[in-house]
Amino acid sequence: MMLAENSEVQPVDQRPLVSVTGLSKQFPVRGNSWGAPAQAVRAVEDVDLTVAPGEVLGVVGESGSGKSTVGRLLLRLVEPSAGKVIFDGQDLGDLGPDELRKFRRHMQMIFQDPFASLNARMTVGDALMEPLKLHRQQRGRAAEDEAVALLEKVGLSADHFKRYPRAFSGGQRQRIAIARALASSPRFIVADEPVSALDVSVQAEVLNLMQNLQQELGLALLFISHDLSVVEVITDRVMVLYLGRVMEVARTEELYDNPAHPYTAALLQAAPGYAGESRQILGGEIPSPIAPPSGCVFRTRCPFALAECAQTVPALREVRPGHYKACIRDDIAL
Amino acid sequence: MLQPDTIQHSAHPVLSVTDLKTHFFTDAGVIKAVNGVTLSVNEGETLAIVGESGSGKSVTGLTVMRLLARTTAKVVGGSIHFHGRDNVSTDLLALSEKAMSRIRGHDIAMIFQDPMSSLNPVFTVGDQVGEPLRVHKGLNKREARLQAIELLRQVGISSPEKRVDAYPHELSGGMRQRVMIAVALACDPRLLIADEPTTALDVTIQAQIIDLLRKLQQERRMAMVFVTHDLKLVKQIADRVAVMYASQVVEEGPVDEVLANPRHPYTRALLDCIPSRRDGSGNRRSLQPIPGTMPNPLSPPAGCRFHARCSYALPACIVSEPELQATDGKHVTRCIRWQEIAP
Repeated sequence: MMLAENSEVQPVDQRPLVSVTGLSKQFPVRGNSWGAPAQAVRAVEDVDLTVAPGEVLGVVGESGSGKSTVGRLLLRLVEPSAGKVIFDGQDLGDLGPDELRKFRRHMQMIFQDPFASLNARMTVGDALMEPLKLHRQQRGRAAEDEAVALLEKVGLSADHFKRYPRAFSGGQRQRIAIARALASSPRFIVADEPVSALDVSVQAEVLNLMQNLQQELGLALLFISHDLSVVEVITDRVMVLYLGRVMEVARTEELYDNPAHPYTAALLQAAPGYAGESRQILGGEIPSPIAPPSGCVFRTRCPFALAECAQTVPALREVRPGHYKACIRDDIAL
Repeated sequence: MLQPDTIQHSAHPVLSVTDLKTHFFTDAGVIKAVNGVTLSVNEGETLAIVGESGSGKSVTGLTVMRLLARTTAKVVGGSIHFHGRDNVSTDLLALSEKAMSRIRGHDIAMIFQDPMSSLNPVFTVGDQVGEPLRVHKGLNKREARLQAIELLRQVGISSPEKRVDAYPHELSGGMRQRVMIAVALACDPRLLIADEPTTALDVTIQAQIIDLLRKLQQERRMAMVFVTHDLKLVKQIADRVAVMYASQVVEEGPVDEVLANPRHPYTRALLDCIPSRRDGSGNRRSLQPIPGTMPNPLSPPAGCRFHARCSYALPACIVSEPELQATDGKHVTRCIRWQEIAP
């Protein structure tokens, strides 16, 4: 646990809906008969986070940063190697398989690829009624009415009820995936790159829809994305991950206006829409998560790295109220 | 559309595409993927072609390279003139397959979105960078290998003497795209067509590749056509931009001019869809999606193709297809109401 005491990252006066401490995941890599040793991919290392009811927390990072794994760990779609996920007072680790399945009605997921996440052999209506039967014990007419209501909620209509996913465009499929996630009346949704596969005009539609539904239903949302401009539009707070570790957490405006970690600053400057004057392009590439660098994992690409950075893993510490960074240097202008 | 300030060495554009029509003949009907596209690129200049999925931007690039399957895709009209180093203008559509293969990879090169599927997994990086040199320049294996090392150095690959013997799977996505660029630039082409070359890459790597492409292009005074869906990237890489919608160019002009002062409703609408930083007062800017959906390519609407989704549409827009009109010398738009579209 690298967090200093009392540095729990959460808005004041609000009990978190989701609270995560010391979350880690290593995926084993088997050795082979040519002598390659058994190793482990360190996908997520010692992550703490909280999501308040009705809050949208963004998780940003590049490929291999562990952002998708964090999302899956939160719903316990993969088992953590270490750490706790507490959802509304319930430790998910204490739940047996049946209990967990029942508990999932409170936490749902939306995936990136709406072409892969819908069953091609199921009509949209059936796909929506399945969670209604499973989680809300609705059958027959009631379930059908509810499914139509869900379709209307996401901007589709009763006409779409009997059609198969292949009849829909990418944007419409993502609407169906959203309707399906909402079917069990969850309080928390993990959205993993939900608009990344869509064209900009469609992306804007789906983002607006998600934002409206989130506000209307008071949903808590973990919004995972590599696209900083999308994250800025929809989130309240943002967490920046690099090689499985948290680099920085802050309120969205604060993070974009005053990034405190060199990696966050570099990400913002690399984004195509960056309007600032001096633009420093980060060299190198993300190191292998099988053998991450010692100390600060970002040090191998950091323009401000010192010898000390290789010694210890920097703790996540508060630099301004509600703004945390994992960097030992306070003497740098970003 | 010629720009006197950018033409220093040559009086002709390197590439001029005139009224190009590429149609796909499918069982369901004829898809007019490119329908009357006119474009040109000068030496040392980058033209970005921007559009959403199905706009015809990639098919335009593939038609120039003549890489489309002749069984389904047919060029039914227009011309593609390429102005080579020898100062001779060639109509690429009139060339035999053999003559075209002498130009492809030598005078005109192309890079694609996914470097893993463009590189051959069973040959080393050195083999693949050296191949155009052996084929087009007649270099022997040893000479090609030495040149390949030099090219790998130029595209920013560290320890190229070692990497030259690596296989594609041993490299990261960013490295593979650098290798693809080295393959494309091996014979010092006059024209590079880059089709979404950074779309599959992480932002920090994308920034590196964009920087590299710009540097190499300026050093070699190459003409470049950069195909992308990302309007934000256009500003960083291109001198001029052509916006495509439903198989046609709807607006074209200098990048700064088109982005700051769009004269076609689609370009405007596209700019309003981009999530961007909050305004000065710190308020969140609401996104303005474009109403409706892309027209069915099998039966595009009559008149202006954008009319059903356009807030400026008049009855006249449904009747006849608007021509490209010049708003000033370098900026053209396919909209009858362009004068009313305030900046």
